[in-house]
Amino acid sequence: MKRLRLFVFAWLLHFKMLSQSAFDGFLAILWPLFFATVAFFMFRAGRGSAVLGPVALGAAVMGVWTATSVSASSALQRERRLGTLELLVASPTNLALVLLPITLATSTIGLYCIVATLLWARFLFGVHIPVAHPLTFGLGIVGIVVTIGSLGFLMAVAFVRSRRAWAIGAVTEYPVWLVCGFLVPISLLPNWVRPISWLLGPTWGMRAIRAGAYGGPHALLDIAACFGLAAAYVLLGVLVLGTVLDSARRRASLSLT
Amino acid sequence: MSVIEAGGLRRTYKTTTGVIRRRRLEVEAVKGISFSVERGELFGLLGPNGAGKTTTIKMLITLLLPTAGDARVLGLDVVADAREVRKRIGYVFGGDRGLYERLSALDNLRYFAELYGVSGRDQRTRIAEVLELVGLTGREQERVEGYSRGMRQRLHIARGILHDPEVVFLDEPTIGVDPVGARQLRGTIADLVAAGKTVLLTTHYMFEADALCDRIAVIAKGRIVGEGTPEELKAQVADGRVTEIEVYGVDEATVDRVRALDGVASVVVEERDQSQLLVVQTTADREVTAPVLALLEGLEVGRVASREPTLEDAYVALVGGE
Amino acid sequence: MKGLRVFFVGGLISYRALFGFLSLWIFVPALILTPIFQILLFAYIGRAAGVGSDEFYVIGNAIQYSSVPCLFAMTQTIADERFWQTLGPILISPAGRLPLFLGRALPVIVNGLFVAAFSLFVGGLLLGTTLDGATWARLAPVLLVGAFSCTGLGLVNAAIGLRVRETAVLSNVFVGLLLIFCGANVALSTLPGWMAVISRGLPLTHTIEAARAVAAGASLASVRGLLGREAVVGLAYAALGVAMLRFFEQQSRRHATLERV
Repeated sequence: MKRLRLFVFAWLLHFKMLSQSAFDGFLAILWPLFFATVAFFMFRAGRGSAVLGPVALGAAVMGVWTATSVSASSALQRERRLGTLELLVASPTNLALVLLPITLATSTIGLYCIVATLLWARFLFGVHIPVAHPLTFGLGIVGIVVTIGSLGFLMAVAFVRSRRAWAIGAVTEYPVWLVCGFLVPISLLPNWVRPISWLLGPTWGMRAIRAGAYGGPHALLDIAACFGLAAAYVLLGVLVLGTVLDSARRRASLSLT
Repeated sequence: MSVIEAGGLRRTYKTTTGVIRRRRLEVEAVKGISFSVERGELFGLLGPNGAGKTTTIKMLITLLLPTAGDARVLGLDVVADAREVRKRIGYVFGGDRGLYERLSALDNLRYFAELYGVSGRDQRTRIAEVLELVGLTGREQERVEGYSRGMRQRLHIARGILHDPEVVFLDEPTIGVDPVGARQLRGTIADLVAAGKTVLLTTHYMFEADALCDRIAVIAKGRIVGEGTPEELKAQVADGRVTEIEVYGVDEATVDRVRALDGVASVVVEERDQSQLLVVQTTADREVTAPVLALLEGLEVGRVASREPTLEDAYVALVGGE
Repeated sequence: MKGLRVFFVGGLISYRALFGFLSLWIFVPALILTPIFQILLFAYIGRAAGVGSDEFYVIGNAIQYSSVPCLFAMTQTIADERFWQTLGPILISPAGRLPLFLGRALPVIVNGLFVAAFSLFVGGLLLGTTLDGATWARLAPVLLVGAFSCTGLGLVNAAIGLRVRETAVLSNVFVGLLLIFCGANVALSTLPGWMAVISRGLPLTHTIEAARAVAAGASLASVRGLLGREAVVGLAYAALGVAMLRFFEQQSRRHATLERV
């Protein structure tokens, strides 16, 4: 119970901090909009305005990944720069329990992107999104934030020792957009890529959101897979973090300051 | 049982040098440090930058594993029982960093209260208490980014004692703080000890260690070179007097001859703009002014003064001798 | 977050990074991996949207991405000059301003050319739209003109960067605007009229058009009109950039702001 309280409090606190960084926020929202705009033009030219709805949803979710990819993988680097990393590690609380709310906060920032993109689509391209199944839709949105935040947690753990973590996070931006079916149906991708898509939580979150808007046959499966993969990422991250921290204390390689 | 026990602590760092051809270097930052701290003591680790103070403290607060040796805090091993140790200690370090700038002091404290396991029920009272203790009541709603260095340090201390730890580790807490603020901080630190906590303080300010600490260990280049109460240290090194002679243009050979004089423990030359200051420590209550001045014949001599040795002299002798 | 990222990217893709490879971890992802991913992304979006050929997107995105080094590296070069306090002396020197800045711009242009060529080559390889040697020979000068033109915009960006602290946002905005307007992924004929007008006033638009023509077999002579217009655009931005630099330098002498890093 105490842990849950800590978790929620930490998540809200970091969300508050990230929200206040107007500069970061501005660019985080604006950047995916450039891509969304290009995508709208492309799809409208190729297939007409009817398909712009699902495209808008895909573009909206792109923003959640953008908000997270760099920010989450460099979460520990940020703490290091602030000088708080030492304090977090030296606390009696498990670092995983400290880190996960941070990466979830970065993906929650993505909610701003979703809203901005859908508004952009509505007012500039006349795209209306139906919501056939509100519960599914809502769970899909929550799911995508949770699964992306969890994936961000795994990345943060993987790059815990690297000072260049943000660069690695940045380079994953386009590949994830491509592979998770945000704008390109998975069926169009080469066969060998598809297993990667299935293993990425955002793929299922995207399907759930689209199912919530337009109806879909496997909505329950999509939601389950989305949250299930999120849980798997967290578990994996917790295991890896334990090992990494031990090694870091031994070799003084965490460079806590 | 001592509250803190360090036995033969060693810590080696591996670093790489060079860009093209990388070489592995092993640097031993701490070379076998042993000391103990009793309950209710204010113990100081005094030493110049790079002496190994911070490395030692990090080993004690479980952030670093010793390469050799062991340490116990409150009877718990810092390696095997790290989590238990963390629950019972507070860690405060000096400088501007270590706080979330964009948040208010209150938010910072609430976050760390959660992290350090202060129960929800107690948080409000506890936060109010620590704010009162460090003198920040009324300013907790302001964002940390607007705080002065002294205020940040006080907030640091507040954060460090939120969970009411029995032992508090302070790593150069007054560094960069203005004199008035620093004095206030020292008062707060003394209050901590008065309240029954055990405090280990690292610093390179002599007067601070002299004023605050019950006992001091002087560290230089990874080793303890002197230990005891401030009085004992002063006595240990120079139970005589210190004579300061201002001279214009003294050379190394002459200084060596002064060193070789009977009764002279050490000579330190301080360079001034136009002159040098010879600080001569004498071993016993010997009058060496005359022999020294005789050696300096031919040179222009300015002020000559004689005084009691301070902790600084003891420190310089201990540390300079390494 | 983003700002930090692009600030570092800009900081290290200065021409020194090009030849010094100061940090592989930033250089490689930013200038080698990302453009290829962008090409793949849009090629597949094109397939999903049923518009444009793979080659269309390879050429368009490879050239558009060269704006990243052109903008960031140019801005960083000027920022460096300011940091080392050599900017003032340069601006008041009696030597011709334009040649002076072009000298500093040259490594940036080469950087841009390299990025465009490399991504075009690899992207083409991955998607199966490779070009033969003769086409490359014709393409090289086209890419060069594009890099030159975009670096001109980079000078404007750099000048603004002298006054504004958060240059990274503006640089990213320019890159994003070019993505929409320069015809990389959306043919000008598909854009609304007013947007196409803006496109023609931006660098890279004419280059992309020329490059696509050349790849389809056109001779250099036939695209010289486009290249000429591109060069004019580039020169206009360069001149504007230099004028702005001079103006800000004069202003700063009044307010002592130029040397502030």
